[in-house]
Amino acid sequence: MSENLEHSFVKQLQENQNIIHKICRLYTNGDDAHKDLFQEITIQLWKAFPKFRGDSKFSTWAYRVALNTAITLYRKTKRSISTIEFEGRQHFTHDIEYNYEEEEQIKLMYKAVYQLNDIEKALVFMYLEDKDYTEIAETLGISEVNARVKMNRIKGKLKKILNPLGI
Amino acid sequence: MKELDLLKKDWQKNDNSFEQVSEIEIYKMIHKKSSSIVKWILVISILEVSIWTLISLAFNTDDYFKKLKHDELIQYFEVLTIFNYGVILVFIYLFYKNYILISTTASTKQLMKDILKTRKTVQYYVWYNLGMIVFSLIIGFVIAFSYNPDVSILKDKIANDGKIMAITIGILILTIAVFFGIFWLFYRLLYGILLKRLYANYKELKKIDL
Repeated sequence: MSENLEHSFVKQLQENQNIIHKICRLYTNGDDAHKDLFQEITIQLWKAFPKFRGDSKFSTWAYRVALNTAITLYRKTKRSISTIEFEGRQHFTHDIEYNYEEEEQIKLMYKAVYQLNDIEKALVFMYLEDKDYTEIAETLGISEVNARVKMNRIKGKLKKILNPLGI
Repeated sequence: MKELDLLKKDWQKNDNSFEQVSEIEIYKMIHKKSSSIVKWILVISILEVSIWTLISLAFNTDDYFKKLKHDELIQYFEVLTIFNYGVILVFIYLFYKNYILISTTASTKQLMKDILKTRKTVQYYVWYNLGMIVFSLIIGFVIAFSYNPDVSILKDKIANDGKIMAITIGILILTIAVFFGIFWLFYRLLYGILLKRLYANYKELKKIDL
């Protein structure tokens, strides 16, 4: 029985791994950190898998557990990130004055999102995944109104990161 | 926010840009079992050898051989001891090699092969140890009967009475059997459980590989 469970878990995770890669992309900076987070999320998913009853899609269940794992881990390492954050910000103040191609702008956006805090990243993730506010609110355990307000604040914050002088 | 929309567009077409993790890699992530089992085999074998060495240090056999008045036996015994440690060191080296192999393999087929190889190594190791125990006991009895003055009275009795001889041989065989049984059980507990888990992993891998 447990062997079948394992097999079905490995198969489903393999098929739905992009959702986890995406979360790793928002929460980590660099290949090694990406792989570490991927592995950590995989382990947490496997631990939680017996409780997954199949009343939602595997991908939906997986991204929720994965987000929680990322949020928890990110909290623990918050302090060590502050220096990178500072360098990143400096970088943007210099670069934003130029007119960038789309690709470059996307890169800057990823860097900007990386500077958000753990919960904000989770919100951005769900926003990018086109989740509605009901689901966002439910996943984060906040009210729908609160989720909307937060998302607006995040947009403001991102604008500020991209263009700190407000030009 | 225009940049966020741009990001969203990029995000949703981005699905295939990630380096895909294979089933076997996921399996390894949630288990890390095979390599940790093989690590335990290595650790336990080293601990086991250390314990035997400590025990043998506590019992000085030289005095016994001196009592027998056959100093040449000391030399034979030393040769045997060195040979035994040599063989065990080779086994520990093999365990170490298996551990390195298993913790670094990336393909299912290779991992399955390595698991089977590790199992074989452990089985040879256990059989070598059991064989060595039986061999040492037999040698011990032969030496006792040939040279130990304490046993000479018994030897005289055996020479005169077939019944006593039969009983003595029976007791010796029983002693060997009991020792063999105890150590067999010991190894079965120590390594058997680890081997069983390793084999369960093997079966699981086989299923994925199909």
